[in-house]
Amino acid sequence: MRFSSIARLYRVRLRARLVQELFAALGIAIGLALLFSSQVSSTSLNGAVAELTSGIVGQMRFQISARDPHGIPESLMRQVGAIPGVRATAPMLEQGATIIGSGRTRSVDVVGINPQLARLGGKLVRGFGVFRLAKVDALMLPASIARAVGDSSLQSVKLRIGADIDTALVVPDLLVGVSDGLANSPVAIAPLAYVQALSGMSSRVTSIFVQSTPGRDREVLAALERLAAGRLNVRPAAFTETLFDRAAEPTNQSTGLFSAISALVGFLFAFNALLLTVPQRRRLIEDLRLDGYTRRMIVEVLAFDALVLGVVASAAGLALGDLLSIALFDSNPGYLSFAFPIGTERIVTWTSVALCVGGGPLAALVGVLGPLRGAIFAHHAEFFGASALTSARATSWLLGGVSICLVATTAILALAPSAAITGVVTLTLALLLALPVLLDVLTRVFNRLQALGRASSPYLAVMEIRSAANRSRSIAVAATGAIAVFGSVAIETAHRDLQAGLNKVAHGLNATTDLWVLPSGTANALATTPFGGTDAGRIAALADVAKVEIYRGSFLDVGDRRAWVIAPPRDVAHPIPSGQLVVGDMRLATERLHAGGWMVVSAAIAAAQHLRVGQSFLLPSPRSTVLRIAALGTNLGWPPGAIMLNAEDYRRAWGSSDPSALEVALRPGVSDADGARAVRDVLGPRSGLGVQSAAQREQAFRATARQGLARLSEISALVLIAAILAMAATMGAMIWQRRGRIADMKVDGFSRGVLWRALMWEGGLLLGAGCSLGALFGLYGQVLLSRALSTVTGFPVAYSPGFTVALDSFVTVTATAMLIVAIPGGMATRVRPAIALRD
Amino acid sequence: MLSLVDLSKRFPGACGEPVRAVDGVSLSVAPGELLALYGPSGSGKTTLMMLIAALLRADSGQVIFDGRDISALSARQAARYRLLELGFVRQSPNLIAGADALDNAALKLMAADIGAREARRRIRPLLDRLGLHERALHRPEQLSTGERQRVMIARALSTDPKLVLADEPTGSLDSRRSGEVLSLLSSLCKDRGVAVVLVTHDPQAAAYAGRVHTLRDGRLVDDGDERAAVPGNAA
Repeated sequence: MRFSSIARLYRVRLRARLVQELFAALGIAIGLALLFSSQVSSTSLNGAVAELTSGIVGQMRFQISARDPHGIPESLMRQVGAIPGVRATAPMLEQGATIIGSGRTRSVDVVGINPQLARLGGKLVRGFGVFRLAKVDALMLPASIARAVGDSSLQSVKLRIGADIDTALVVPDLLVGVSDGLANSPVAIAPLAYVQALSGMSSRVTSIFVQSTPGRDREVLAALERLAAGRLNVRPAAFTETLFDRAAEPTNQSTGLFSAISALVGFLFAFNALLLTVPQRRRLIEDLRLDGYTRRMIVEVLAFDALVLGVVASAAGLALGDLLSIALFDSNPGYLSFAFPIGTERIVTWTSVALCVGGGPLAALVGVLGPLRGAIFAHHAEFFGASALTSARATSWLLGGVSICLVATTAILALAPSAAITGVVTLTLALLLALPVLLDVLTRVFNRLQALGRASSPYLAVMEIRSAANRSRSIAVAATGAIAVFGSVAIETAHRDLQAGLNKVAHGLNATTDLWVLPSGTANALATTPFGGTDAGRIAALADVAKVEIYRGSFLDVGDRRAWVIAPPRDVAHPIPSGQLVVGDMRLATERLHAGGWMVVSAAIAAAQHLRVGQSFLLPSPRSTVLRIAALGTNLGWPPGAIMLNAEDYRRAWGSSDPSALEVALRPGVSDADGARAVRDVLGPRSGLGVQSAAQREQAFRATARQGLARLSEISALVLIAAILAMAATMGAMIWQRRGRIADMKVDGFSRGVLWRALMWEGGLLLGAGCSLGALFGLYGQVLLSRALSTVTGFPVAYSPGFTVALDSFVTVTATAMLIVAIPGGMATRVRPAIALRD
Repeated sequence: MLSLVDLSKRFPGACGEPVRAVDGVSLSVAPGELLALYGPSGSGKTTLMMLIAALLRADSGQVIFDGRDISALSARQAARYRLLELGFVRQSPNLIAGADALDNAALKLMAADIGAREARRRIRPLLDRLGLHERALHRPEQLSTGERQRVMIARALSTDPKLVLADEPTGSLDSRRSGEVLSLLSSLCKDRGVAVVLVTHDPQAAAYAGRVHTLRDGRLVDDGDERAAVPGNAA
C-alpha cells in the first residue's frame, strides 16, 4: 500500500477524532515529560559536580587529603614531592564560606590555590595566571555570584568562615571564557596564602594533588598510602565526583521512581483515551477487511496512526520536559550543597532524548494496536460475533488474573521492595482487571436498588453501562478515574510519608535542647563546622541559662560515602530520634551511646562496609578509632548516610575538642526569645556565631527537607493535573459520542432533565466504581512506594495509611469529573431530536 | 463464474448442539446476472455471503470462482480476491466520519497501490454516474442514508470487480430509495458485466433479481427460477 494512501486515510479520519487524539498525545507527552525532566535534572546534578571537579583538578591523578576541616601541614608537600614517580604536586585549601555582600548573602566554596595548580589544573583554574595569584589578594568570583550578592565590581565584602567574619576583596570576573554552567558555579578562587590568612589556617592545606609519571601510578599510590599512615585519605584526584554520585543517588532514585510511575500513569491515561476510539477503529478494520485489505495493510494503517501520535507526543513531551527541567526541576537538592560545591549547568544527554523520542511511538503503538490485536488477527466470524459482555467464564479469568497480580505485588513488597516499579505495574494490572468485575457487580446491585424506585434516569444509566456496544467506553471512563485516583493517592501518600519521616528526624535531632549556638549560614545547617575559642563558659554563667553542652559534628568520607557525623552530648536523654532504627533496639542503642565506644550507623553505610550490629569498625576519622556498631539506622535525611556517636568519642576520634554547636538549656520560665537575646549579647555583634531556638532550627531542617523533596511534590502535582485533564478528555468524549443516542431518546419522548440526570447517574456510577477502586489500590501503592523509598534510598519514612489523602483524591477527581459531565452534559441534552431523524 | 458446490457450515450452538448455518447449498451465478438469495432472518444468508467472500471457511463443499477454489486461498490471497474481484455492499453504510464521499468511495482503490490522488481521480466518474457529482466533497454526516449507500456501491465497484455481494443493501432505506439504489446497482452491473448476489428478506428487493433462491434453515428450498417463492411476487 502506498504511503500517500496511508497518509491520506490518516488525514481524513483525523478530522473526526482530533480532540481524542490530542488528549491521547497529551497523556503520553506528560509521562515522557516527567521522565525526560527527571533524567535531565539527574544528569545535570551529577554532571555539574563532575565538571566543576575536573575544572579544578585537571590532569592531576591523586590527592592526599585531611579527614577534617583543620587540614594538613603544607610542609607535607615536600615529602609528597620526594616520592619516586611523582612528577608534580599542588596544594589546595578548601573552605565553606558565606559572602555577605551589600545585597544578599551567598554560600560559596572558597578554593585557595597556588601557581602550580593554576598551571596543571583544569579549565576553571588554568589561565588564572601566576601574575594574578602573586599580585592580588582577592577572591575571584563568577560575575553572576557577585551580582547575586550585590557586588558587580571590585570591592570589599564580609566573608564568614566558621565562626569568624573578615573583610575580603572580591573580583567579579573570575570565569570569563568558561562554559555558562561552570561560570555560575558557587566557587571563589583565591591565592592560597590569602585563603590561609582569611581562615586562620596558616601553613595548612586540605588537599595535596599529585601528578605521577606515566606508568608509575601504582608505585606512587602505595607510597602515598604509607605516608598517610591511616590518618589521611589517599584518593583519586576527582574523588569528589564519586562521593557526589553516591550522595545524589537516593534523590535521583526517588525522583526516578516517582517519574517512572507518573509516566506509567500518563501512558494509561493515553491508553484510556485511545480505548474510547476503539469502536471506531474496530468498525474501520471490519470495513477494510471486507474491502480486501490484508492484515499487513491494516497494521500499516494503524501503525501510521500510532506513529503520528507517538511522534507528536514525543515532540510535545520533549518540549514540556525541557520546560519542566528549567522551570521546576532545576532546584538542586540544596542540602547536598552543605557538603559539595554544586554547579548549575544543565546537561541533556542523548540517552534522555532517545528515551523520549523512542518512548512516544512505542507507547502509542501499544496503545493503538494493543486493544485491536484481536480485531486485526481474529478470524472474521469470531471478530464479528464477539460479545463484549463479561461472561461468567471471563469473570473467573479476570478474578484469577487479579489474584495472580496481587500475589506478585505482595511478593515484590516482601522480597524485593527495590523492584517497586514492577510492583506498581502488577498492581495497576490487578486494578484494571478487577474493574470490569466490580462494574458488573455494582450495576447489578444498583439495578436492583433502582428497581424499587420509579425514576427513569437511573434505569437509563444502567442500561447504557450494561450495553455491550458501550462496554469499552464504560471501562475506559471508569479506568481513567481509577488510574487518576490510584496515581495521585500512591504518589502523594508516599511523598507525605517521606516528608513525615524527615520531620520526625528534624524534631528528634533539634529538640534535645532549647537553644543552639553555631556558625551562621545555610551551608552550616547541619552543624558540621567546628569552631574554636568558645564562649561556652560566659554563656553558662548567664542567669537565664541552666546548662551549656558541647555538640560535635562534621562530614567524614567512609568508603565512597560522605557521611554526616552527629555527636550529641554524652548525657542527652534521647540522642537517637524515634523511629530511626532499622536494626537494633532503641533502649539498648541509647545505653550504648551513653556508655561510649559505640556508634549507630546508617544501614546503607553498614551494607557498603559489610557491618552487623555488635561488630567493631575502624572509623576512618583523623585519629582512626575502633568503635562498635550499636544499631543500624536510616540515613536521617542525609542521602549518603549518617553516623551517630557521643561527643566524647568524637573528641577522641577527631583529636579536637572544638565544638560544632553549643546546646544551651534555659532555666524554667525563660522564653526562647529572651534566652537567645541574652546569648547574643554575650557573643557580641562581631561574632560569626548565630543563635537559634530548637523550633527555629527544626523549621529550617523541615524547609531544607521540603526543598529536597521539591521534585517529588512537583511530580505529585503534575499527576493530579494530568488526571484532571484525562478526566476532561474522557468525559468530554463520552458525552460527544452520546449526542446521537440522546437525540434518539428525545424522539422517544425522554425529557432533557431525565436525559441529563441519566448522564449524571452514569458518570457517577462509572467514576464511583473506578475512583473507589483506585483509592483502595492507591493505598496499597503507598505501602509499596514507602517501603521502596525506605529500603532503596535509606531515607526515614514514617508510614501512616493515607486514608485522608485517598478520600481527598476520590472526592477531587470524582467531583471534577462530575462537573465536567454536568456542564457539557447539559449542553449535549439540548441536541435537536431532528438529528436522529435526519436522512 | 461462481459455483457453490454442496457447501456446508456449522457453528457450535448454545446447548452444545452444532447449528447448521449452511447445509449442502449448491448454485451458480453467471457474469452479469443478478441473483437474489431470499430468506427470513437466521436462514443462513449472511453465512453464505461470508463463505463466498472467503471470510469463513466451509466445513465441506467448494466455492469455485473463475475456476479457482476460493476456500483454499490463504489469508493474503483471500484479501487480494476481495480487493480486486469482489465488491461488498452492506446493509448499513458504514462510512469513515470526517472523510468526504470521494475518499470514502476510493478506500478500496487506495489499497490497490495506486496512490491517494489517483484513487480520488479514478473514482470521480463512478460517483458522477451514481448521481453524487454535487455531493462528492460532502462528509457522511452531510449525506442522506440513500446517498451514503450509493457511496458504498461506488466503493464496491471501484476496482471493477467481477462479483458484487450485496447484503441487505436497502435494509435501511424506504421503498422509493430502495428502488433507486437497486435500479442503479442492477443497471451498473449489467453495463459492466458484473454478477451480483443480493441477500435480502425484502420481497420488493428480490423482485429486481433475474433469479431468486430461497434459503431456509441453511438449505435452498427451490431451484431458483421461480419468483413465486417470494411472497408478494406470487400475485
